[in-house]
Amino acid sequence: MRDVYVIGAGQSEFGKFPNRTVAELGGKAVNSAVADAGIEPGELQAAFGSRVYDAMITCQTVLKGLGVTRIEMTNVENACAGGSTAIRSLYKDIAAGYADVGVAVGVESMTTSPVAGKPIPPEKDDLYGHLGLTMPVLFALQAKRLMETHGATREDFAQLSVKAHDHGALNPQAQYRKRFTVDEILASRTIADPITLLQCCPNTDGAAAVVLASEEVAHKAEGRPVRIAGSSLVSGDYDFRHADITTMELGARAAAHAYEQAGIGPDDIHVAEIHDAFASEELVHYEDLGLCQRGDAVGFLRSGATALGGHVPVNPSGGLLSLGHPLAASGVRVVCEIVDQLRGRCGERQVPGAKAGLAQMLGGATSGLDAGAASVHILTV
Amino acid sequence: MTTSRPLRPGLFRQTSGGPTLLAGRCTACGHIEFPRADRCPQCRAEAQKEIDAGDRAELLCATTVEIPSGRLAAGYTVGYVILSCGVRIFSQLASDAAAMAAGTSMRLEIAPLWQEGDDQVLAYRFRPEGGAD
Repeated sequence: MRDVYVIGAGQSEFGKFPNRTVAELGGKAVNSAVADAGIEPGELQAAFGSRVYDAMITCQTVLKGLGVTRIEMTNVENACAGGSTAIRSLYKDIAAGYADVGVAVGVESMTTSPVAGKPIPPEKDDLYGHLGLTMPVLFALQAKRLMETHGATREDFAQLSVKAHDHGALNPQAQYRKRFTVDEILASRTIADPITLLQCCPNTDGAAAVVLASEEVAHKAEGRPVRIAGSSLVSGDYDFRHADITTMELGARAAAHAYEQAGIGPDDIHVAEIHDAFASEELVHYEDLGLCQRGDAVGFLRSGATALGGHVPVNPSGGLLSLGHPLAASGVRVVCEIVDQLRGRCGERQVPGAKAGLAQMLGGATSGLDAGAASVHILTV
Repeated sequence: MTTSRPLRPGLFRQTSGGPTLLAGRCTACGHIEFPRADRCPQCRAEAQKEIDAGDRAELLCATTVEIPSGRLAAGYTVGYVILSCGVRIFSQLASDAAAMAAGTSMRLEIAPLWQEGDDQVLAYRFRPEGGAD
């Protein structure tokens, strides 16, 4: 297997753009990533694309506007982890020698999707979905358990959102660029107790792309190559195997695989970008990713360790809560942020001296499984 | 004429003593699964026996949802309960979440989930023991 590097990263604006097509959003991200890599679009040998809603030939739709045709294009779906899956798939193709350079793109037009303005439902024939288990409900129930098992408070959950918005205020690409207080977050309307509106990610249109390359190509590229030291993608497991809902075993398993491949552990991670569609879930990910000990997530948050300036800043981009969550784009976008952090080009939200970062994404819910998919990429310079 | 039908077959049945949930017990390893699956998720054996899972449960956690979802109007309450056989399931709940603590004893009832044309669609739901109708 060959080493694989990220040589370019780019994203579109994130926000509500009902008049911008998937081709425009995706094209903006790919153009930006290709320019960042210092290559011509015609040099791309492979493409993986992901989109959740109304998805069909996403790569072809996006890349034809860039003059890229005829190459092998593969379109993948794994709910919110679809973008991570596109990266993982391209990573494997380049590691195995099937291609030397390619692009992974995630794109979503939520404002024109069938779920615009609604909570995202599970798969349409899902039993628990029919009974009312939407995404905010899933995470609200988890938050209720965290209050019982971890002593988490409503203020802790609100503080996670305060942190996200503090970070997002520093990111020119964020959908929100606005700070909120704990009181303002708690006073926003209740969605599913204890989750209030300002603890939920917004509906977002947007796209993100990365150009991956073999070592030989990477070392000829203009910018500083970022090595993919660990890459994992796992699927969920039966719910009955898990004693409680305050851990998502698939996330811990994805992290363990990536750490093992990278040969480093959670103590070596300087910055992380993770799934925070709902504020409270971030506590679960701290523990599942090994950033703190089991049971210590609340104390870890309260210590300030995961805010900018802390020991391991989590979601310096603003995360899904502030930067926004164009579903399939988010798995690519978290990698873009880590690449930018490791290249030291994040401006006011830069984590000083970051040399190793972790990008995680979760996707999907269905009755009987803890979740659909989880992916972790560990990047180093 | 209004008729009633279950959300899907195989979730519950009425007995002379009241409603019971239905589950599958694996004849190979004894694992109990709700709803019953064709193949045991624990040992993958195909021999699954339908059993009554009873009408009692303990509340694990609950939330009242203030936005609509699919055919459900805002203001519905759902949560996880642990059946007396030890299986954790997701369920509609017949009381506001704020009124129930973890560990509350719950009892099964069969209740309309939504109306579909002339059909009243029925689902299982848990109510705190001693709670009023």
